[in-house]
Amino acid sequence: MRRVVFSLATFIALAVVSFVGVDALPGDGCTALLGRFGTNAKIDACRRENNLNDSVVVRLKDWSGDLVRGDLGYSIKRDEQVSEIIIPRLRNTAVMAAVAALIAFPSAIVVGLLLGRYPRKRISKAVNQFSVIAMTLPEFVIATVLWLVLSIWIPIFPGVSVMPSNASLLQLLPNVWLPALTLAVVIFAHSMRTMRASVTNVQNMPFVESARLRGTNERKMISRHIVPAALPPVVNVVALDGAWLLTGTFVTEAAFNFQGLGRLAIDAISDRDTALILPIILFGLAVYLVSSILADSLVRVFDPRLRSNNR
Amino acid sequence: MNKIQKFFVSFLAFGLIAGGLASCGRTSSASGVLRVGNDAGFGGAETMDPYDGNRTWPTINMVFDRLIGVDKDFSPIPELALSWSSNDDLTEWTLELREGVKFHDGSEFDADDVVYSIERMIDPEFDSPILAVLGVISSVTAVSKYEVLLSLSTGEADFPLLLADYRALMTPVDSQSTIGKNPIGTGPFKMETFDPAGTTVLLANEDYFFGQPKLERIEVITFADSQSAAQALAGDQVDLLLAIDGKSSAMFGDEAKFTLQNIPSGDWNAIDFRVDQEPFGDARVRKALRIAADRQVIADTVLGVGGGVVACDTPVWSADPYRWDGDCAKDTEGAKALLAEAGYPNGIDIDIYTSDVEVHMVELVTAYKDQVKDAGIRVTIKMADASGFWDDVWMKESAFVDSWGQRPATQVLNEVYRSTASWNPTGQVDKDLDKMLDEARSTKDQAERAKKYAQIQERLFENSAIFLPYHKTLTRAMSSKVKGVEPIVIDAVRWEKISVS
Repeated sequence: MRRVVFSLATFIALAVVSFVGVDALPGDGCTALLGRFGTNAKIDACRRENNLNDSVVVRLKDWSGDLVRGDLGYSIKRDEQVSEIIIPRLRNTAVMAAVAALIAFPSAIVVGLLLGRYPRKRISKAVNQFSVIAMTLPEFVIATVLWLVLSIWIPIFPGVSVMPSNASLLQLLPNVWLPALTLAVVIFAHSMRTMRASVTNVQNMPFVESARLRGTNERKMISRHIVPAALPPVVNVVALDGAWLLTGTFVTEAAFNFQGLGRLAIDAISDRDTALILPIILFGLAVYLVSSILADSLVRVFDPRLRSNNR
Repeated sequence: MNKIQKFFVSFLAFGLIAGGLASCGRTSSASGVLRVGNDAGFGGAETMDPYDGNRTWPTINMVFDRLIGVDKDFSPIPELALSWSSNDDLTEWTLELREGVKFHDGSEFDADDVVYSIERMIDPEFDSPILAVLGVISSVTAVSKYEVLLSLSTGEADFPLLLADYRALMTPVDSQSTIGKNPIGTGPFKMETFDPAGTTVLLANEDYFFGQPKLERIEVITFADSQSAAQALAGDQVDLLLAIDGKSSAMFGDEAKFTLQNIPSGDWNAIDFRVDQEPFGDARVRKALRIAADRQVIADTVLGVGGGVVACDTPVWSADPYRWDGDCAKDTEGAKALLAEAGYPNGIDIDIYTSDVEVHMVELVTAYKDQVKDAGIRVTIKMADASGFWDDVWMKESAFVDSWGQRPATQVLNEVYRSTASWNPTGQVDKDLDKMLDEARSTKDQAERAKKYAQIQERLFENSAIFLPYHKTLTRAMSSKVKGVEPIVIDAVRWEKISVS
């Protein structure tokens, strides 16, 4: 409970800092709308119309009041409610992240376990090498390779997405695969290696030794002893990677022209569309705070030691 | 097969099944549909109002028509106006309109629509970007149902070419409040769904006065960046990209599948020097700055070999009938002598601001710096943030890169170089030049006028504060299934003649 209150306080403090920070950037919604040839008179008129001439404090008060009432604001440049712009794109990114997570996490845990358990097999070494490469390659390289192989050489997936942001789920799904696979490669390598290291670590612990001396069979050994003990550090990494899947997809979305939150964030920042940048920042903050709370609670489920001393 | 191998095999199988499912949703290219890739120029602020600063191009040119078009040599040809004539001092122009033309909603096009459209274009309150082109119009009146009279504030011999601007499109009376999202035009295609951040769909206008379009529909698909647009063409997800980055052209080398067209254009980059800041107030320094560089090398470095046409500081592009081609070869010794004469025997140190707000802008300054160092011109490159460039750097710092789109000679000279022009980026006041501009535009005889425009460009090379090394050659890329896109500037391409086999 204390943890939740603390997170909420952090959220509010960071929201205020973000508002002031974004406000301090040169340019605003009106210069964004009017662009290179916006005359001073036009920009002034636009600012008056949208109350941009009020002081930071007044605007912060108005903005946070609206936010509490569930009004995310209005984008001058796009002439649209921010919620109407963000929600469909949030859905697209969420679907893509879910597909990536479903591909990457279960396979990373299983492969990490096998690699930790049977480190000497030739295939284990090969997979390990592959994961090192996957971890060091930048996303746009992975994206380009996947595009070349799975869209041009073997035309299975559409190469880039050409759908509107509010496309139906059926329209969305074919476009999700390549970006999701790109993200999956990145997080697979990451969480798989954590799992492998954790398994290796756990295997050398005295309780595993004693279980083996009691004559526990291999299956039981893995399911009862090794996996539960190896998971806690992995849960933390999964939570971080999961949060990244929702908030760190800029490069991948741009590479596949995917209409998600990441691409919207890039556009909003380059347009100086402050009304649009802020909710995206807040969403990212919320995702990280929630996922770290979630991870901590999950770790307690797996690790009785943390439960008993009831921190 | 042991457990691990089994796992990998099943993992692979899962992937193949997933892929199979995904490919069901793959879009196929039906014939009669043209998919055009478009860049997200205004980040969601796009409007179909052709007079608005955020107008979405080229979609507006599929829906609306101009009064006067251009052919491939950039001479005026009839569109909604069948003929035009002027009085002797070129200040009054009479246009005869095409009869029986219908807007997409069935209403008839006539002189009232012309009056309405032009009054919106020149409305100082609305302050359209096209005001910079057609600001010479002082009034417009309907003489009869199919005849309009345009009065100009100054004689302008090339007025028909100004009317051929791609934004000088005809819109129906009282359409201002609806036209942005629900455009009604006379053009070859009607708007079906307008989605500037996604896919805009247009359907053929079967009653089009130049004949029924060969395509059933056009889809204009927006891409976040040029790389993903190029990938879409390579993967048969779009059929036509109006401009690709020259470096992407290697992707489309397969002639059986793709057609590439290189089209010299009037788009240019420049380095502008503020004459109100030292040392650029001195004409000798300005001349030295321009003769110290090899323009061909700069064009080849920045745009790639064949990517541009060298210009001797003239904004008038290679296909314009008024183009002047002088001799502007690199002259390091000449530049040194001029600098010494101006009181800088040891050369000068200058800052030039640039930004990656557009491609080529950073490369231009880098190439320039390398070219002029032998003449004792030591350039420090200052990188400015892209998002604040036009507001905070352009026209404000002492030297900065610039970028302009294609314009006819009379327009670009009056819009950028005239002392009183709002966007005169160097702040240079040259009353003699202004007088020459007035004389040129009011000369009725074509040959005589061409001579005057040549003298103006010669003067720019001697005196102006804009170093303009090249006009860009655009690379247009399309699927070889696309027919009817002539290798000419886009202003002259007829959308109704395009087909997809």
